[in-house]
Amino acid sequence: MEKEKNKKYSDRNTDIAAICEKISEKVSKEKVDQWEIYGAAYSHNEIDLYKKEIENLSFADTRGIGIRIIKEGRTGYAYTSNLARDAINSCILKAIENSEISDPDENNVLPLEKEDLFLDPEIDDDELFSRKILDFSTHDKVTMSRELENAAFSSDKRVSGINNLIYEDSISETAIINSNGFSKSFKSSSSFMYISVISRKGSDVSTGDYFDYKRDPSFFNISDIAFQAVKKSTSLLGARKIKSLKTDLLMDPFVGAQFLNVISGIVSADAVQKGKSLFKGKIGKKIFSIDVDVIDNGIMRGGMATQPFDAEGVPKGITTVFEKGVLKNFLYNSYTARKDGVKNTGNAVRSSYKSIPETGPSNFYMENGIKSFEDLLKKIDRGFYVIDIMGVHSGVNPVSGQISVGAKGIWIENGHFAFPVKEVTIASDIFSICKSLAETGNDLKFMPSGGYTGSPSLLFREIAVSGN
Amino acid sequence: MIEKKLAKKVLNLLLESGGDYSEIYAQKRNLNHIKLENSKIENITTGFELGCGLRIIHKESTFFAYVDSIEIEKIMDAARVLKSALDSSSKSKILDLTSKKPGFEMEAKKRPSCFSQSEKSELLFKADSSSRNFSPEIVQVTARISDLEDEIFIATSENTSVSASSSKVFMAVNAVAGRGNEIRTGYKSIGGTGGFELFLKKSPEELSFEAARMAVAMLDAVNAPSGSYPVVIGPAFGGVIFHEACGHGLEADSIIKDASVYKDKIGKKIASTCVTAIDDATLPYHWGSYLFDDEGYNSCRNTLIKDGVLLKYICDYKSSKKLKIDISGNARRQSYKDIPLPRMSNTYIDTGKDKPELIINSVKNGIFAKEFSGGQVDPATGDFVFGISEGYFIKNGTVSDPIKGATLIGNGPEILNKIEAVADDLDFAPGFCGKGGQSVSNEVGQPTLLVSSLTVGGTGI
Repeated sequence: MEKEKNKKYSDRNTDIAAICEKISEKVSKEKVDQWEIYGAAYSHNEIDLYKKEIENLSFADTRGIGIRIIKEGRTGYAYTSNLARDAINSCILKAIENSEISDPDENNVLPLEKEDLFLDPEIDDDELFSRKILDFSTHDKVTMSRELENAAFSSDKRVSGINNLIYEDSISETAIINSNGFSKSFKSSSSFMYISVISRKGSDVSTGDYFDYKRDPSFFNISDIAFQAVKKSTSLLGARKIKSLKTDLLMDPFVGAQFLNVISGIVSADAVQKGKSLFKGKIGKKIFSIDVDVIDNGIMRGGMATQPFDAEGVPKGITTVFEKGVLKNFLYNSYTARKDGVKNTGNAVRSSYKSIPETGPSNFYMENGIKSFEDLLKKIDRGFYVIDIMGVHSGVNPVSGQISVGAKGIWIENGHFAFPVKEVTIASDIFSICKSLAETGNDLKFMPSGGYTGSPSLLFREIAVSGN
Repeated sequence: MIEKKLAKKVLNLLLESGGDYSEIYAQKRNLNHIKLENSKIENITTGFELGCGLRIIHKESTFFAYVDSIEIEKIMDAARVLKSALDSSSKSKILDLTSKKPGFEMEAKKRPSCFSQSEKSELLFKADSSSRNFSPEIVQVTARISDLEDEIFIATSENTSVSASSSKVFMAVNAVAGRGNEIRTGYKSIGGTGGFELFLKKSPEELSFEAARMAVAMLDAVNAPSGSYPVVIGPAFGGVIFHEACGHGLEADSIIKDASVYKDKIGKKIASTCVTAIDDATLPYHWGSYLFDDEGYNSCRNTLIKDGVLLKYICDYKSSKKLKIDISGNARRQSYKDIPLPRMSNTYIDTGKDKPELIINSVKNGIFAKEFSGGQVDPATGDFVFGISEGYFIKNGTVSDPIKGATLIGNGPEILNKIEAVADDLDFAPGFCGKGGQSVSNEVGQPTLLVSSLTVGGTGI
């Protein structure tokens, strides 16, 4: 038996907005043109379970602030995890010092309301923060983790172990205050459960993972997480290499989502303006050969990347990136929008208070098609159903557009699954793969990956698969 | 940073939980990042991180909490919360906390804090012009310098305490070359423990020149082939193959979970006789080096594989207890906010006897993989990938056309037995390794070597 007490999150507002306010009073006395204070407070609880026991249990309650200074068009940034007075004072000084050394740029100006593309969205507080998360004690979370482990072991005899079983949740509050008079904050919650299952048959070993990611744990379907991970793992037992060939590729939605995540980087205005995007000068051009829509929806209901304003305080909204396969819009933050002389799409992102705002996606996805997965499968005479890919960060070069990643999945013959395949690669390049997209399924699924990226099953024609 | 008297109080309070082990890890860190792009210093960031992580190990379980402060009241508060996660069955221990001495010196000669942001910016401008002067086809240069100065204090119920400070400097250049509709990239980095004397080894100009050369060379690249080929893997960053194919699988946490293909293989031959592999955190001034690991143990040089025979796993305190093996000094964490894990430091395949040219000459029809973009492994199956960022065909023993980026895919235990020749040109390259959501400095290394067959993931069929 575990001995942990019933620790729960307490329902309190952090004082991060007040802290930012206080700092702003100090900064506003400095001789700078513009300033911005970004504050984040974060409570976090993580449980790693192994063989019914807690492997790791961690608690965190943390805050930090980042200060951005603009002086004569020069930007300086500094952050601190320590909010003692001295630390904050030296943080302000450092930000100012740094602004004196960086190079000036006329577009280094904080966001202005008249440049916003969207009006303030109406998002219910409950949409971002689920009060139910407060009802779950550490004990409840450990119990859920054990349920997940049991469910995995009991669903298939070939399950031999668990690689990782993680329960993780957090409550965070973000505040931004700047010299243009912006001062807002919002609170959000999230919980995440993940399992990676090992299965064995003779000397053959295979792994498979699955997750759920919601505003609070009451939404989790534990038996489904276990079922999906086990299915993925066991369906690949006995996998073998195949001969190199060009063939049809059916991508699982989560593999499709990783592909869309790459696309989301290439449509970032920052990459475009710096000559690091293949989509530069391609607005209005048909990139996909079929009529697919790709959307960045910053205010999507149920979207885990939904928030009222972006990392610079600009209202979020819905941007159509591709419409009927045609490239329509790039994603902008305040700097890049001003540089291109367009409205700001509210796509400033920061990984934490430690970094200046960059450009990135929110809930970024390809719209559903009309065919079911089975319908897509039936359309394939010979092909490869890709369940998992490996090495996206090393095998996809978003600048040159080259794609070559490791893959595992199931070989398809005459519209049916034939046998599992491993240790092969799939290779193409961004333009070719977009052109070879032939069909989309109606099974859109999302995963966390920078933003919150979604894709239905995707059918591509004639992609190079490398094996023996 | 924290007085020993107070540390003892905290450690004993944590032990009141009934835990077998307690630990304080306090850290104070100053960081700087400077980024140049479009030939401009785009941004300069300075960071200040201060805090303290507390840990209790009770049987198989680790309990962890941290605070963003090193004030004793705040640490005691966190300790009470953490303690309450376990049942109290008091067990206090008499501790004298002997201070440990480092096994070697790694003093920075030009400390980051003695180097102004403008001086650092100058280095980036030098890198920028070096790439742009190399060729008019260079369309963009992104260069960044990061440095940090770190002070740690560790005290554990194993009766040790450590106070140490260190600094690190890292620089990376990403050059983009364009011709018509084609865009290619070249990347080079340098990193070390110590200070800005790092650039005496290699200047920003040289580093940037290399990145630009790579980007421009790749403009002529033809489609990479697909299928199995003999692959000659270049020195330095080529060591990522060992890091992925084997290194991660030797980390003791995977062994314990039966999630490694190298479980129960100590004393067994797992690689070709020409393979000797070492993890050495004591290489002075190397990027992955440290005086003490993040549990306060002195860093070590560990021979993992000797002449193809597996000798050792990479472990931390908890896994060494569980597996009943010696501490290897490999506990590492990203910061005070993280739980330490068994991780590699500077991991490399040791120098061999062959000449690199002769190895290339011995290949009739194959691939020369010169530079890499990183890799990934599933330790449970041993399946790994790594991406070639600069590669060439080898035809009749001679390096010929450059090939477009391609992933190499293989299985760890299989590949280790397919290493047929190891050259005498051992070199190292810095990188960042991610595991369990934590990124730490890692160096990989190897001499030029030959793998008899690997699947090359190109588009040429």
